[in-house]
Amino acid sequence: MDSIASFLTNMADEAEAKPGREAGATAATERKPRGAAGFKSAEQGFPLMPVGEAFDMGHAPDGTPLLDPRIFDAPEFYRNPYPYYKIMRDHYPVYFDKLHNCYYVTRYDDITACYFDDEGFNTIPKGSSSGVLGNTQLELSGVEHRRRRNLYGQHLVGKSLDNRLHAIQSIAEEMIDDFANLDESIKQDRNGVRTIDVGRAFANEFPIRVVCDVLGFPKESRKDFYYWYNSMMSGLGGSETHHQGLEARQHLEEYVGELVEERRKNPTYLYDANGKPVSKDVISKLCESQVDGDYLSTEEITSNIALVVGGGGETTRGAILNMGYLLLQHPDQFKAVMEDDGLWDSAFHETLRHSTPIGGQPRHNSFDIELHGVKVPAGSLVNMVDFSANHDERIFKDPETFNIFRPDLYSGKLLRSGYRKEGRCSHMAFGVGPHLCPGAWISHQEAVIGSKILWHKLKNPRINVEKMPKDIDGASLAPIGLISVKELWIDYDLN
Amino acid sequence: MSTREISRPQGETGKPHGTAGTAPKITYGRNGVPVAPAKVRGDGFRSYEIFQRERMGESTALIKPAQLISPEFVRNPYPLFAVLRENYPCYRNWVDNSFWISPYNEVTSVFADDANFETRPKRWFYRMEEYGRDLREELPVLEAQAKGIDDNAAPLAEALVAEFAGRGSADLATEFAGRYPLELLARVLDLPPDDVPLFAQRYWRMQRGSNWEPRSEQDGVKAIHELTDYFRPLLEQRRANPGTDLVSAVATLEADGGPTRAEDLVVTLLEGDHETLHGALANTLFLLLTTPDQMDVVQQDRRMVKFAYLETLRHSTPVVITRRFARHEVERFGRLIPEGGVMILAAGAANRDPRQYEDPDKYIVGRKDLCQREPRGQYRADGLPAGVAFGLGKPSRHPAVPEDRPRSLYAITRDTATTALNIVLDGLPNLRLQDGARPELRSLRLWEMHTCWSLPVVFDAR
Repeated sequence: MDSIASFLTNMADEAEAKPGREAGATAATERKPRGAAGFKSAEQGFPLMPVGEAFDMGHAPDGTPLLDPRIFDAPEFYRNPYPYYKIMRDHYPVYFDKLHNCYYVTRYDDITACYFDDEGFNTIPKGSSSGVLGNTQLELSGVEHRRRRNLYGQHLVGKSLDNRLHAIQSIAEEMIDDFANLDESIKQDRNGVRTIDVGRAFANEFPIRVVCDVLGFPKESRKDFYYWYNSMMSGLGGSETHHQGLEARQHLEEYVGELVEERRKNPTYLYDANGKPVSKDVISKLCESQVDGDYLSTEEITSNIALVVGGGGETTRGAILNMGYLLLQHPDQFKAVMEDDGLWDSAFHETLRHSTPIGGQPRHNSFDIELHGVKVPAGSLVNMVDFSANHDERIFKDPETFNIFRPDLYSGKLLRSGYRKEGRCSHMAFGVGPHLCPGAWISHQEAVIGSKILWHKLKNPRINVEKMPKDIDGASLAPIGLISVKELWIDYDLN
Repeated sequence: MSTREISRPQGETGKPHGTAGTAPKITYGRNGVPVAPAKVRGDGFRSYEIFQRERMGESTALIKPAQLISPEFVRNPYPLFAVLRENYPCYRNWVDNSFWISPYNEVTSVFADDANFETRPKRWFYRMEEYGRDLREELPVLEAQAKGIDDNAAPLAEALVAEFAGRGSADLATEFAGRYPLELLARVLDLPPDDVPLFAQRYWRMQRGSNWEPRSEQDGVKAIHELTDYFRPLLEQRRANPGTDLVSAVATLEADGGPTRAEDLVVTLLEGDHETLHGALANTLFLLLTTPDQMDVVQQDRRMVKFAYLETLRHSTPVVITRRFARHEVERFGRLIPEGGVMILAAGAANRDPRQYEDPDKYIVGRKDLCQREPRGQYRADGLPAGVAFGLGKPSRHPAVPEDRPRSLYAITRDTATTALNIVLDGLPNLRLQDGARPELRSLRLWEMHTCWSLPVVFDAR
């Protein structure tokens, strides 16, 4: 038996080693990642594993795999999260992360139940968005939430949405026809082949233009719009960029304040394809909306607009790029979609199931509860992991495979109540229940119309593998993981 | 699964984790303050939004929550503590929803407030609350502990120093500071010498497992069971043949709820703490060796060793943070803390509060603005702030020690540390750091003790 002194020395030395090393050298640890472009080096923590394989973090005496909470901060988790979510679903349906003091709920059924339970799991943690966005319905629940949500939610669905489809279409066409004039840094022509980054050329800007149009922002405000959008998105939740977020919001508030004063007197209209006015734009409508007999204050209107500004851009961008990335990696499915316009909806929904841009919603529980034997005291932070629900093999067979023809995924019209009949389930990317994403319908239309036009206009598109981030083997394409594709470099033939 | 299956305790009086309460009885906190039972919770719908809302325009831009679990913070928490203390006296970590308390007055007020906040036992973190009883407050146990420590403090220190005094060099962190508290504990328990290394390892594994790391937790549970199996025959043996040691005291104890079991003894050891003595010895030696002018002060007048120890607990306390939980919804520092809310008290930040101490980052033995005795009744015993050392518990509620009680843990630890340090300084003449050695204070893991793990020294061999 070692002496106490050598035991202490060993303990201190072990602490210097990386978390991956502590487990003892398993075969997996030995595998050295090569040329993992785009990712931080494995030396910073857990080793990067082949996609779909979890790093072995040890086992309990009964064989249950252990889960080290440091993994949630590791680059490995960001690129390869699904095997770890599988461990959680199978062994810790409610996982208590002692390091981050929060709970994770990972099974499809549990998450749906919690989303519908607006009383027991009300809203996102306060303060994580309100600092920047202001008072929005994200942080409300019950009747208060319903009332406010409907204020603008109704302008993003149904007939109001149908009225906008032609505008979405013309914005997309206008942008794609302009590809020839792109900056050299994102476009190169060589031997009749053009190489572009679909992200900067199209997907980053397209959703923002649509939001601008629907809200009724004047065209000249578009440049400010990028500033508001970027600053507010990166300022969410108290990081060091929080301050910029607050500044941007202040700027937006001043701008919208003037706009609202103007629109209260002279409302502006949206026009159909023939230039006939169809309805007032969202800002003008908010100006005349009432809650409880009171008109909305400018502050409230700004908050609602800030929410649409924040929610409408990043997510749709991710959906368009992820869909392109996945389809181009499955040429047979890409071919099928190009030949049958009716398949775009399936492709969209399967993309959101396979690699959703927004991976979950945090909640606070209102009561002391016990779920799967885990006691969760009232007021705890409970993360609902949509990423995991969408890959729950209890619902979706063979969940890691991208297959737009999968029979168990519902890809019809999106329903607030979710869909679960005859072995077909809706995915969880928009959430479900009272807080279902109000922009779900419009973002669906944006992504499908935008992608349809884009991929039909480009001749023989294929991924430019050289310019894309690689996986740990240095050759194959990097997995999407938790972060949507940021750049999508493609080649297409000019003639 | 449907929502119906989520069980909701209806109107239950309860401890925060909903263990079913029986008849309401008045409970007292460790400093004697009667503690109100948690509110009876009605069926009403409660939104937590009001507790959490940041004020508009209020920004906590200087700190990212991720920094509070970063490796830099584990190594040296003091730069971040300064930012917290000077900018956000009650910082809400919006990721994990905990409240960080850092200025001196705020930390001590929450730490001493048993009516509104509670410290949860380590077995709560293990989710083993029912495993055994904590007997630390039983008078025979306290007496056996005090007697065992007093009898063995000096002989043990002399024995350890004698092991390396002839060698001319040693590592005081691992060969002395790390060994001393555990071997002292083994002597207090009167364990056979051959069992001591194995006991020490199990004890360490048990202590480390109450943290957040799942593999250590498994290992800790295993160590708890190993220790229980080890103590079971020993306890029976001592029950038949009691001595004056701690195991005998536990064995012969007439406690509520029947005769004591090995599980009770292990829980008593788990809830106890070796970290303050270990850390105080290592950190005092580290600070004296790296601050030669203060070493001179101590060498010239040995009575200053006690003040070096007190100043160490202020300047570099080994237990830099501790967690407390709100017993019920309570407003503090302009925020509403929800029931069960986690308060992270940063002793390391409080102890360097410039509002309390002049030049707080400087190690000054015998500094005039530090309370030079253990705090009694409150933190400001002589109108001066004492260093906050969580391992020692709250200041004793007795203004003076009653005749029939052993000295407080504050006093026992202080006397033991002083004795041991004096023996080191006596036994190792011309004590100095080894050439080229660059010792440092660090935690091995987040939320573990902040101390020196390697302190190579040379001295004149005898």
